[in-house]
Amino acid sequence: MQDLSTALNLFTYPFMQRALIGGVLTGLTGGILGSFTVVRQLSFFSDALGHSALLGISLGVVFGLNPSLVVLPFALLFAVGVTYLIEKTDIWTDALLNIVYSSSLAISIIVLSLEGTYQTGINNLLFGDILGVLPGDLLISGLLLLLSSLFVGLTLRTQVLLTLNEDLAIARGIHVFAHRIAFMMLLSLVVATAISSLGVLLVGAFVVIPACAARLFSRNFSSYLILSAVLGAASAAAGIFFSALFNLPTGPSIVIAQLSLFLLATGKKQWLDS
Amino acid sequence: MNISKTPVLSVDQLTVRRGQQLALQAVSFSLEAGTDVAIIGPNGAGKSTLVQSILGIVSREQGTVQLLGQPLSTKKALPAAVRHQVAYLPQNFLVDRRLPLTVTELVALGWDKLGIQLPWAKAKARKLAVQQALARVEASHLGRKFISELSGGETKRILLAYCLVRSRQLLILDEAPAGLDVRSEADFYQLLYELKAEQGWTILQVSHDLDMVRKHCDRVICLNRRLMCQGVPETALAPENLTATYGPEFVRYRHNRHAC
Repeated sequence: MQDLSTALNLFTYPFMQRALIGGVLTGLTGGILGSFTVVRQLSFFSDALGHSALLGISLGVVFGLNPSLVVLPFALLFAVGVTYLIEKTDIWTDALLNIVYSSSLAISIIVLSLEGTYQTGINNLLFGDILGVLPGDLLISGLLLLLSSLFVGLTLRTQVLLTLNEDLAIARGIHVFAHRIAFMMLLSLVVATAISSLGVLLVGAFVVIPACAARLFSRNFSSYLILSAVLGAASAAAGIFFSALFNLPTGPSIVIAQLSLFLLATGKKQWLDS
Repeated sequence: MNISKTPVLSVDQLTVRRGQQLALQAVSFSLEAGTDVAIIGPNGAGKSTLVQSILGIVSREQGTVQLLGQPLSTKKALPAAVRHQVAYLPQNFLVDRRLPLTVTELVALGWDKLGIQLPWAKAKARKLAVQQALARVEASHLGRKFISELSGGETKRILLAYCLVRSRQLLILDEAPAGLDVRSEADFYQLLYELKAEQGWTILQVSHDLDMVRKHCDRVICLNRRLMCQGVPETALAPENLTATYGPEFVRYRHNRHAC
């Protein structure tokens, strides 16, 4: 453990400032979209996309393209493909996601085994490197936060009705498929962007854990949505700070901070219920 | 009450296929303003399919539907001109009990026009409309509760507030009181018909309760994948029509039950 002033001193370095800003931006975006992802029972989607994105990245490696650039169109393709399969087949969503992500993972491992020079990159992909966030990444994260806020904010009532009951929504003239695919594409872009910071193994936590903690603290939908975003940002900031203080890996520290908030919310609910 | 001569709803030669099976074949009927029309028929007769195909939840294979004079496309969502004039309560209004949605928030969704708008748009008018609707169904005390905390009877009352919170012409109810005990069902219908009288609603409802249909409805549509009969309850519920719709065993069972 470092002393507090040394840990705080780390935040004078640009790479730590970028990590903090990137974490907070991703935490806010993950919280906003995560609030709907969780109640629509799509939590597994972000995990599945994270794992599947490895295929996009490995194809980028093989064809000599920047993996970060390949992963965004791949994520959109994943969103469209999965939404189409959910809509057109009678297979359960979690089973479909399992098929898509395990197949993608299998293909990407084979592709990468043929390309023997990417071992360091693989470690970063699996566990992320939020300290390596670049100014361009912050710009993309900021744009995605703006886009997510506008999408959820301006269509909030529609999104809530869709979550409550799709038949009620259709009867009110809402185009369910269009809204569903727009949400999935946005979520895919956010998850794909966050992979470089958190890695394919932990990226799902940003979407799921703050929303679940917010659910336990909230007494209505509006507060749930706002709290989910706030907890996402707060846990990112806390995780980065504690990783600096205790000299721990940053991505996992953020997930531990999220877990702590979730356990706190669980404790509060148990206390109130008793 | 709306006294327009144009039918509120006009269905012509409606045919719907579910998978390989013909769920509805060439069904035609219309609804005059202010009337209460029941759709009856055995399980699997296509009653829910009929209302869902009118609303665009299920695709139509053939036939036309006109709602408040507007032709409805088979592919697109309800047109803006009519979508706020219709309220629909589905057969199984199952709510995920973990959804953090309060009664006030649910009823407010009935008031919203659901386009692109700021979350705080028209907040005062919305709040007032919700308060009035909840007060009318005597549920003001439930406003802060999660919808998952309501009893079956309370849920149905809140759904009526959802319909009531904005002025509407047509209510489409698919076995709305399903799952309620006898007392709660009677309370539901009493409130529904009080509100119908106040609001001038036209009602199209799927029902299995032939006694309720006889007592309240102006017309009856007997369905068994195709239109078996339609008319006022006295004629549509005559034994020969019920036999044609449900089969002879049903009429014998009903006769014996009433004799008990």
